[in-house]
Amino acid sequence: MKPPSWDRLQPVLVFAALAHFAPAQSFTQRGFLETTGIFYPQTAPNDSGQAVGESLFRYEAFYKLTDLRFAAGIDARFDTHQQTDRSLDFSWFDRTRRRQVLAVRRLSATYTHGKLTIEAGKQLIRWGKADVLTPTDRFAPADFLNVVESDFLPITAARLTYGTQADTIDLVFEPRLTPSRIPLLNQRWGVPIPVPIPEAPADFPGAPQYGARWNHIGSVAEYSFSFYNGFDHLPLFRLTPAFALQRFYPQLRMYGADAAVPLGPVTVKSEAAYFTSTNPQSDEYVLYVLQLERQAGEWSFVAGYAGQAVTDHRSTVGYSPIRGFTRSIVAHASYTIDTNRSVTFEAVIHQNGQGEWLRAVYTQAFGQHWRATAGFALIRGNPSDFIGQYNRNSHLLLTLRYSF
Amino acid sequence: MNSSVLLLVCAGLYAQDARQIVEESQRRGRANSQRYEGVLEVIAADGKSSSKSWQSMRLGSYGNSKAVIRFTAPAEVKGVALLIINHPDRASDQWMWTPAIGRDRRIALQDRSTRFFGTDFSFEDLEERDVDQYEFRLLGEDPIDGAACWRIEARPRQTKTSQYTLSHLWIRKDHYVAAQYENFIKDQLVRRLHAADIQDVQGIWTARTLEMTDLRRKSRTILRMQKLEYNVPLKDEEFTVQALRREQ
Repeated sequence: MKPPSWDRLQPVLVFAALAHFAPAQSFTQRGFLETTGIFYPQTAPNDSGQAVGESLFRYEAFYKLTDLRFAAGIDARFDTHQQTDRSLDFSWFDRTRRRQVLAVRRLSATYTHGKLTIEAGKQLIRWGKADVLTPTDRFAPADFLNVVESDFLPITAARLTYGTQADTIDLVFEPRLTPSRIPLLNQRWGVPIPVPIPEAPADFPGAPQYGARWNHIGSVAEYSFSFYNGFDHLPLFRLTPAFALQRFYPQLRMYGADAAVPLGPVTVKSEAAYFTSTNPQSDEYVLYVLQLERQAGEWSFVAGYAGQAVTDHRSTVGYSPIRGFTRSIVAHASYTIDTNRSVTFEAVIHQNGQGEWLRAVYTQAFGQHWRATAGFALIRGNPSDFIGQYNRNSHLLLTLRYSF
Repeated sequence: MNSSVLLLVCAGLYAQDARQIVEESQRRGRANSQRYEGVLEVIAADGKSSSKSWQSMRLGSYGNSKAVIRFTAPAEVKGVALLIINHPDRASDQWMWTPAIGRDRRIALQDRSTRFFGTDFSFEDLEERDVDQYEFRLLGEDPIDGAACWRIEARPRQTKTSQYTLSHLWIRKDHYVAAQYENFIKDQLVRRLHAADIQDVQGIWTARTLEMTDLRRKSRTILRMQKLEYNVPLKDEEFTVQALRREQ
C-alpha cells in the first residue's frame, strides 16, 4: 500500500486545526460511531454472502466568526463486504465506485450579510418538500449501494441565498458533478447480468451544473419553483468498443415545483418535475408526488403516491432507484413509545403488484449517547420489476450507534 | 422561554380587571430579547428520567416575537431546531430543522398538540400568546406556593386555533409573574405548568424553573433556565428558516 499523500491527509489536518483553535463559545461539534450488521436469509445469484458488517464514524465541526461560519466534516468507513475501498485513495468529488475509507462530508465557508447568504465548498443541498420522493432534489446525489438504505452525498458547490422569511431565492453552481453511488455489479444489490461484462471507467461530464429556486412561505401555504440545468447524477450505460459496460451521465434539464398546504386534518404536500435531455438515449419524463401527513398523539403518518409519466421514451439502459420507486403507493408511520423508544413502519408497493418493500424498525436509546436499532425489511415481487428484482434481499438489520 | 411566554389571556363579570392584570403582567415581562440555556429533565410515569438541553433565543415580546430553540443534548438530537414566529392575531408559524436529513418541516396547526421532542411541552405550549387572542374572566384569589395570586380563566377567541378549550392561570399579586397554568380540553385538565424559582433578572421578575405535567400520561418535564439574559443583541435575520439551516 502506498503511504498517504499530503493531498489525502490535508482535509483531515484542516479539521483538526479547526477544532484546536476554535474558541469554545463559537465552536460546536457532533458526530457518531455506528456499527451495523445486515443479515440476509437468502443468497443472491451474484452474491453468496449472507452477512455484511459496516462501521461509519462521522465527525462534524462548526465554527462561527461574526458573519462568517465554517463547517467541516469527515466520514471514516469500513465494511466486511468490499463496499468500501481498501486503499486511502481520495476523491474530492466522491466519484469512486466504492465508498471511500475517508471522505470529506463537509468543508465550507458561509458568509451572511443581511438577507444574503453565500456558502461555498463541500456541502449538502436539499430542495423540495415531499418525503416519499423528491423529484426536485437535484443537488442531492445519494449512496445507493444498498438501494433501500440510502444516504445523501455532499456536493462541491457555491450557493447563494437571498431573501426574507417569506420569499427566498436560491442559486446554486456546482462546477463538477458528484454522481450517485450505484450498487456494485458483483454484489447482491447489483443487477445480475447473464453474461459477465467488465466495467469500464465511467465517463464523467466536465461541464458544470447550476440551478435556481424561488420559495414562498405564506400564512397558509408554502410553494416553490425550481430550475436545474446540468447532468443526471444517476447513470445510463453503454457498451464500449472493447465490450465493457461504461457508465455515463446524460445532460439533464429540470423544471420543478413543490407545495405544502395544511388542510384541516392533514397537510397535503405535492412535488413535480419535468425532465428533458439533449442526449438521444435519455428519456424525457415527469416525476410527481402527492402525499398526506398527519401527527396524532404519539403517531406520525405520511402516505402518498409517487408517479411517473414518460413523455418521450428513448432507448435507455440506465439505473435509477428514484424512477424505480415511482408508480407506487408509499407509506410511513412511526410511533413514539416513550422518550427512549420508537417504532417505524415503511412500505413501498408498486401499483402493478409486481414489487413491494416493507420495513419495520424498533429503536431504543440508552442514556445520553447510545442507541440500538433492530429491524427487518421484506422485499417481494417479480424479477422484472425494479423492487421485485431484489426479492432475495429481504434482511434483518441491527445497528448500534454512539453519538457525541 | 419565560414563564410569561406561556401566558394565556380572557371576559365576563370581571373581564376588565382580568384583562388588565394580564396586560400588566405582560408589560412587566416585556424585553427586546431574551436568551438562555435550558436544562430539561423528563420524568416518565414509571419514574425513569432522561435529560435534554437546548439553547433558546427570542427577539421581541408578546405577539410580535420570534424564537429559536436549538437542542444541544442528548448527542443524537444535537442541532435539531424549532423556529417560532408569533403573530398578534393568529396562531404562530413553526418550522423544525433536522440536520440529519438536512430538511426543514413546517409544523402544521393540526399537529401542534403533539409533544415536542419527547418532552411534556406540546408545540403549542412553546408559542407566545398575545392578550388579544383570549377572553378573560377573573375567578377569584388563590395562593400558589404561599404567595397570593389572582386566578384567571382564559378562553381562546374563535380566531385562535388551540388544542385547549380553556386555561386557568395564577398571577402573583406581588410582582405579576404567572405562577401556574392549568390547561383543559373540554372539562378535563390535561396539562399543568408550575413556575418556581422566581428571581429578578435585569429588572424583570422571571420564573427560572418551569415544571410541565402531562396529567394524561402522568409524566412531567422540568425546565431550568441557566445563563438567562434579557435585551441581548440579536439580529432579525437569525430568526428565519434559512438561518435554521445556516446555524446547523
